Amino acid sequence: MDYDNLLNLGTELGCRLMASGAEIYRVEESVGRLMAAYGLSPQVFALPNCLIVSITTPEGHPVTRMCRIPAHGTDIELLERCNALCRSLCRTPLPVEEAQAQVDDLEICRTFSPCITLLGYVSSAAFFALFFAGDLWDALCAALCGLAVGGCLLFGRRITGSNLFFRTLVCSAIMSSLAALLVQAEVGHNLEAVTIGTLMLLVPGMALTNAMREIMAGDIFSGLNRTAEVILTATAIALGNALPLMAGRM
Amino acid sequence: MDAQVLLSCVWAFLACVGFGLIYNIHGWGNLICGFGSALGWLVYQGCIAMETGDISAAFLAAVVIGTYAECMARIRRCPVTSYLQVALLPLVPGAGVYYAMRYCVDGMTNLFLSTLLHTFGIAAALSVGAMLTSSVLRALLPRVHWGGRPPR
Repeated sequence: MDYDNLLNLGTELGCRLMASGAEIYRVEESVGRLMAAYGLSPQVFALPNCLIVSITTPEGHPVTRMCRIPAHGTDIELLERCNALCRSLCRTPLPVEEAQAQVDDLEICRTFSPCITLLGYVSSAAFFALFFAGDLWDALCAALCGLAVGGCLLFGRRITGSNLFFRTLVCSAIMSSLAALLVQAEVGHNLEAVTIGTLMLLVPGMALTNAMREIMAGDIFSGLNRTAEVILTATAIALGNALPLMAGRM
Repeated sequence: MDAQVLLSCVWAFLACVGFGLIYNIHGWGNLICGFGSALGWLVYQGCIAMETGDISAAFLAAVVIGTYAECMARIRRCPVTSYLQVALLPLVPGAGVYYAMRYCVDGMTNLFLSTLLHTFGIAAALSVGAMLTSSVLRALLPRVHWGGRPPR
């Protein structure tokens, strides 16, 4: 058996899993099981932006591959497909070339068109505004703000760059000025509901809960890493929110 | 249970279905996630009405969501992550994190610290609730599933 290709297979599957937003323990366990299904006992170590897989061939030759994970969002469809593939390979280990072809096929994964994703941003902002005790007019304002945030995140990458801190700052500044303007123009009445409803799109509440879950699961390093990211993102949001207020005072 | 609470559950459901689109969840899975969030919020509101305090309410809601997510993952045979991610959304302390940093930027250190600690408390309650249920259920029902081999 070609152990180099097998290692590539495992690492690539792990990378895809990680990029789809899977938890650290899931990635480590999946890669470990996959390698074990091919009769090896691997060492797997994952951090939020790094995956290291190391195996020892039966001849006693150690092979290691490291993979850097780029910044990523959550893609549940990809996660479910990776998981299903990993399970089927563990049950019936295919020859490495066939398995590699299946891993490459993961690239073709159905995604929503940008319009539908934008609709997701708009509707969740609107309904979260209603959820935080706003009325229908507030929901309309939040929908507009959500449209701005979604547009910024989806299409504004060239302007905002890929830096998480800066992108969040720009989004939250745009969104809070828009909310303030709309409430000033008396379209909406409850500024708090509009702001918080739209901020649910940006605010790292879920990331904080995931960070805590990782700490509880024993992946303390990853958990602390994510906690730092949460605090940084929240600071960016607060700063972005303060900018229009300062501009208003001037 | 008054109409206000039920209405907020409906809003939670719709908002989370919207989030499902952002997270690229297709078909029935999205509605199931949305239903989980409404269920979690209902439990949370019920606990608040019984004056348990919001941290224990968040814990109990996370236990219910964890059970729901684990059952759904077994029935539909896919990872539990998606259900947890979306169903916990109305409960996650997004507003708490925001207010804490807002106080920090405004220089109100006392309010900042107390809000931040409370936010961490809620996040910890949610994660312990979810982790606890999934470990207990994984130990209790290793072979309960619908058809085929047991999910790993």
